[in-house]
Amino acid sequence: MKRSSFSFLLSILLWGLSLPAFSQELAISFLPTFNGSPLTNNDEEILYQEGTFQIETLKFYVSQVELWDDDQLVFKEDNRYHLLNAAIPQTLNFQLNLPHQISFTKIRFQVGIDSLTNVSGAFGGDLDPTNGMYWTWQSGYINFKLEGRAENCPARHQRFQYHIGGYQYPYNTIQSVTLEVSDHRSIQIKVALEQLFESIDVEKNYQIMSPGENAVLFSQLFKHLFSTTP
Amino acid sequence: MKIIMTSLSFVLFLSAVAFVDPPPSLEYPAYFPKPVYHFEYNPLSQEKVTLGRALFYDPILSRDSTISCASCHSPYNAFAHTDHDLSHGINDAIGTRNAPALFNLAWQKSLMWDGAINHLDMQALAPITHPDEMGETLKNVVSKLQQKSIYPPLFFKAFGDSIVTGEHLLKALSQFQLTLISGNAKYDQVKKGTDNFSAQEKSGYLLFQENCNACHREPLFTTSGFAANGLPVDTTLHDYGKGMITHKLEDSLTFKIPSLRNLSYTYPYMHDGRFRKIRQVLDHYTTLTPGALKGPDSSEITIVLTSNEKADLIAFLLTLNDKEFLFNPLHQYPKNILHPEGF
Repeated sequence: MKRSSFSFLLSILLWGLSLPAFSQELAISFLPTFNGSPLTNNDEEILYQEGTFQIETLKFYVSQVELWDDDQLVFKEDNRYHLLNAAIPQTLNFQLNLPHQISFTKIRFQVGIDSLTNVSGAFGGDLDPTNGMYWTWQSGYINFKLEGRAENCPARHQRFQYHIGGYQYPYNTIQSVTLEVSDHRSIQIKVALEQLFESIDVEKNYQIMSPGENAVLFSQLFKHLFSTTP
Repeated sequence: MKIIMTSLSFVLFLSAVAFVDPPPSLEYPAYFPKPVYHFEYNPLSQEKVTLGRALFYDPILSRDSTISCASCHSPYNAFAHTDHDLSHGINDAIGTRNAPALFNLAWQKSLMWDGAINHLDMQALAPITHPDEMGETLKNVVSKLQQKSIYPPLFFKAFGDSIVTGEHLLKALSQFQLTLISGNAKYDQVKKGTDNFSAQEKSGYLLFQENCNACHREPLFTTSGFAANGLPVDTTLHDYGKGMITHKLEDSLTFKIPSLRNLSYTYPYMHDGRFRKIRQVLDHYTTLTPGALKGPDSSEITIVLTSNEKADLIAFLLTLNDKEFLFNPLHQYPKNILHPEGF
């Protein structure tokens, strides 16, 4: 007993000492933009405006962040779910604590929440249903939420609303994104929202608020949204 | 290495002992299956059950503080809403479905008549936010609870944190509802060997096993699955059940199979409350065109019963009434918690 508690204390001590010496922080930041201009929260209601086109809300989940060295997985962030909200700049940045030796060439993450988490009841923090990213009439997280106005949108008040979610086959909307990286201290990921409107005609498709085929097609555009800036 | 492992496991053991609440045991008959609720994510504690009970009976959950969960889920009706075919809400709004009875929820794989809710923890979100029910937002409920003096201490006792969160609110509501176990009807006493069926009840039991047990399976009297009950669509409601959630043709017009326990207290029956008497339900099931009634595996079911057989079957169904459950003082309005200084 005595010996074991001594060795336990020793191991804790060594472990504690080893932490600052061998770990490295990798800063991840997301930069939402539209046609090259960053979204800002200067105006509480509007994140971006160009003529009569407005973006009012951009919120999405990033989870299961992984680092890859070519085809080898070298780091995985476990059980962390990041809710990014373009109106709250500090939510767009987070850090990974890496073991020092890691070298990597790619970052991979999921846009959305995995199906197991979707069926496992209530969670707190970024997953708390008070964040407005959980459907109430049918269980499931909203993986990606984009709202705004466009002159050619036929909806009430010209508002488009894309609430993209769904975790059950065949309507799963969680999407994997893989990007090349060069810098080992920080990774900046651009979110080019205009890419969505290359494929989505806001005149015909302006409201997606439930799981289904439309949501799946929308989610398949996520991979075109993200890029690492050189 | 071995020593490190030993000391590590000792520490793990200590932390397990120190930090996990001693769970009040969930008491249910030995012949019940294992609950499907994952208690490891929300371990039962008396403090959480107490908080959940206060929340369940507090109309603060609704926008104008007029409607509580218990408004449509009354303990004296086995937590259903007797006499009301469709659910009620704030401003005298009427919903589209019959408020189901609440008991044995630890065995429910999904909630709501259409299975739209996949977990008991998330169920309360639907009535809280529905404009024809409580018409409130979860965020607003959280901030109202934070302001009401009784709640921060109750949340602290339950979760070690007096800051109210959506997660803790939902988990506490689950905890109280998980304790609503109905397992002491006459049927259960016969199963336990402390009572006997009458001749008529026994005959009804055999008819039940032959005709009803595929969907309303013993001992919970539901598979907790879905089936087509053969009812024509109510043209004022246009309710296609599970099909509206899954967009699958085979789920169209299928609804959750309700438990038959406590039938006498939970009328009217069916998802839209269209039948007031058990007899009407039996008449419906015995006069269907072949193919209209389908079991959980989509197999066609035909039920033929004489008038006497129906009487026997009803005699058996009445043995599923659990009076002890109805009047369990631990399930009632928690006057001393919601009104600590009296009225």
